[in-house]
Amino acid sequence: MELFRKFSRTTVAGPLVAFLVVAIIVSLATPRFLQAQNLANVSLQVATVAVVAIGATLVILTGGIDLSPGSTVALVTCSLAILVKNMGLPLPVGILLVLLLGLVCGAINGFFSTYGKIPSFIVTLATMSIFRGFAFLITRGTPIFSVSPDLEPLFYSKLLRIPLPFYYVIILYSLGALFLRYTIPGRAIYAVGGNESAARLTGLSVNGIRMLAFVLSGLTAAIGGVLLAAWLNSGSPNYGQELGLQSIAAAVIGGASLVGGYGSMFATLVGALTVAIVQNGLNLLAVPASWQEITLGIVIMLAVGLDMWRPTIARGLSHLFDKLR
Amino acid sequence: MNIEFQAESVSIPAQQKLPILELRHIYKAFPGVQALNDVSMEVYAGEVHALVGENGSGKSTLAKCLAGVHQPESGQIIFNSEVVSFHSPLDARSAGISTIYQEFSLVPTLTVAENIYLGRYPLTPAGLIDWAAMYKSTVSVLEQLSLTIAPDSIVKNLSIAEQQLVEIAKAISLESKVLIMDEPTAALGLVETERLMELIRRLTQQQKAIIYISHRLDEVFQIADRVTILKDGRRMVTAPITELKMGEMVRLMIGFDIEQHYPKEHNAKTETLLQIRHISTENGVHDVSFDIRVGEVLGLGGMLGSGRSEIARAIYGVDRIVSGEILLEGRPIYCQSPKDAVALGIGMIPENRKTDGCFFNFEATKNITISRLQDILRGPFLSLSIERNLGESYIQRMNISRMALERSVQYLSGGNQQKVIIARWLFSKARLLIMDEPTQGIDIGAKLEIYKVINELTTNGISILLISSDFPELLAMSDRIAIVRDGRVLHITEANMLTEYQLIAIASGAGVTEDEQKP
Repeated sequence: MELFRKFSRTTVAGPLVAFLVVAIIVSLATPRFLQAQNLANVSLQVATVAVVAIGATLVILTGGIDLSPGSTVALVTCSLAILVKNMGLPLPVGILLVLLLGLVCGAINGFFSTYGKIPSFIVTLATMSIFRGFAFLITRGTPIFSVSPDLEPLFYSKLLRIPLPFYYVIILYSLGALFLRYTIPGRAIYAVGGNESAARLTGLSVNGIRMLAFVLSGLTAAIGGVLLAAWLNSGSPNYGQELGLQSIAAAVIGGASLVGGYGSMFATLVGALTVAIVQNGLNLLAVPASWQEITLGIVIMLAVGLDMWRPTIARGLSHLFDKLR
Repeated sequence: MNIEFQAESVSIPAQQKLPILELRHIYKAFPGVQALNDVSMEVYAGEVHALVGENGSGKSTLAKCLAGVHQPESGQIIFNSEVVSFHSPLDARSAGISTIYQEFSLVPTLTVAENIYLGRYPLTPAGLIDWAAMYKSTVSVLEQLSLTIAPDSIVKNLSIAEQQLVEIAKAISLESKVLIMDEPTAALGLVETERLMELIRRLTQQQKAIIYISHRLDEVFQIADRVTILKDGRRMVTAPITELKMGEMVRLMIGFDIEQHYPKEHNAKTETLLQIRHISTENGVHDVSFDIRVGEVLGLGGMLGSGRSEIARAIYGVDRIVSGEILLEGRPIYCQSPKDAVALGIGMIPENRKTDGCFFNFEATKNITISRLQDILRGPFLSLSIERNLGESYIQRMNISRMALERSVQYLSGGNQQKVIIARWLFSKARLLIMDEPTQGIDIGAKLEIYKVINELTTNGISILLISSDFPELLAMSDRIAIVRDGRVLHITEANMLTEYQLIAIASGAGVTEDEQKP
């Protein structure tokens, strides 16, 4: 009982409950949900969003927002395709270069949001168009297929019969969680998001921390881009259009507050999984695409709303119990 | 010595016998404090009635009751011979009482005309805004005050003085009979203050009544007809300004209360820790110099807006120092941000602990270690177990509620929150702690604990720069006091050589004669 109470106060408890509720609803709605093949598909599909959501979480924790990762992903898939297929660079070199590209994209977002004093919403709204614009520019608007025979195995190979993306997600999330919990910059991220003014007065470099969050967000977007490219063995300026909002939704459903300072890594993963199984359920039920968008929006509102209304609901329930006694 | 004046013996302007505004036996309490205790006051049309008192005397509460912000628990407000009851600022304004606050209530992005007619734009028969009529009325109101500001100027482009005049114009256009001015000259220079004084005289000729609230006693003597002195929520006296001397006024303001017993320990050494030499900033600090010794509590005494916090900000690296230098243990230091100051061993407990001090997303432990995370590293990683032990030990040492370890500090009392912030700087081994109003909003029991902490800090050789508007506290807990006014240090002296009366007199510009300087 004591363990349960301790658990219920952790940040991941709420989102986990929401996830289980949704999972139960979906499995009741269709028996095909719980089939092994389906679950495997879901985990592959969620990998890209999950990775991008790591960066989204970091930025949201500092009180900022990043709308651009989807465009970074597109730019990365196109750049990788050009570097490897058109310019013949070896795959590892190509991957390294596009990861650097992700860092640069993040740095651009970070610079204008901090020293540039422009709200991050506006900056990343702009780079959302600019980065994707560059993707269109370098590919002249057409996707590039069959990038490399070495690329697909990065996504589809299995280790101990589990596809590699599963491991990528676990490793990256673990690194992210470790970073947030056990390093100085990780702690500083929470401080800056929690009270920027107090953080400054305590001697933290507020601009430096926010910059770091954006740079890491660019990096995880690039990793997500490499993953997407490997999944589809192609690069296209049209890829990743939903990724920006989906990654924010994952973080928010996972309990991250958009004002900053609240949230955790694994809770975001739960949030990403929640979104994924909702979409999966709707697919299995052959719901038309328009309804899927609507449902997704409602799920986000409910998940976050429940978290916000939790104290009010708890108070109401306890009043009810008092009256019944 | 309480001077009692009968209503009849107070001389009033020849025109009226009946006051335009009267307060009878007003009581107003807030949790823990009786802000107004049986206060009565009469204001006549065409007079400048000054309202003076120390910080916490109740004068701003009184003004807010007249402005409709607060409602008294009992007592009557009589305006124009009618009993009135203001439930909101709108009521007061509609009735004819306008308040001009220290922080103006103008919309910076709108024009002068739009601000004056905010919420009551003249309309054409079609229901659209009649801009022509609005501008015409604005021009006529401005002319009444002999102002030459264009009605379509954007307010944020005007100087502070001009903005204040727009506020006054707003009051005129509302045909207010009573204008309450709260610290009107706080943001004005000498020339603008003169112009304001002239304007006030002109307004009184138009039979408007002005309630003038100010710390600057020399101005009160210059402009007021009568003055009401408040202390601890009570009216001490109302008298014509000609019948009061400065000395009496100050004496009535501070009264002869029982001296509170402060547990001050004297630990100041002779060696100097910090030397401030002729520093000036763009934020109102002018040629300030003083020293702080090891283990000393140096108090900065002054009125609201005198520049004490600005001096602290300069030392802490928040504001840029444009001239002068600071020496720490003899070596010049350059703090371009709080980060530099913290690295040098300076800490700051900000005036507003909720917005600038506490991290509400952290419990107490994380609030404490945030100032020096390097100290809880084990290898490249933060050791949460070391941190937890540290939290426990500080909680015990500072007598903070145990709940602080598990829940966000937002649930702690003000006193406990303050202790957590002090613990933060203990943890970072600060050698100089800047405390800006450390006991504000804290009950007496917790205040005593903070005084004990101050003693503990100085015993350990830590110096403190203490800013406090609670003058008895400042005088009792400081070793030396620097009196600040208008961003300048006027006088530095041993705290036990200074009386509260002298402190107020110097800080408010009332001046002190040679005789009065002796304790």
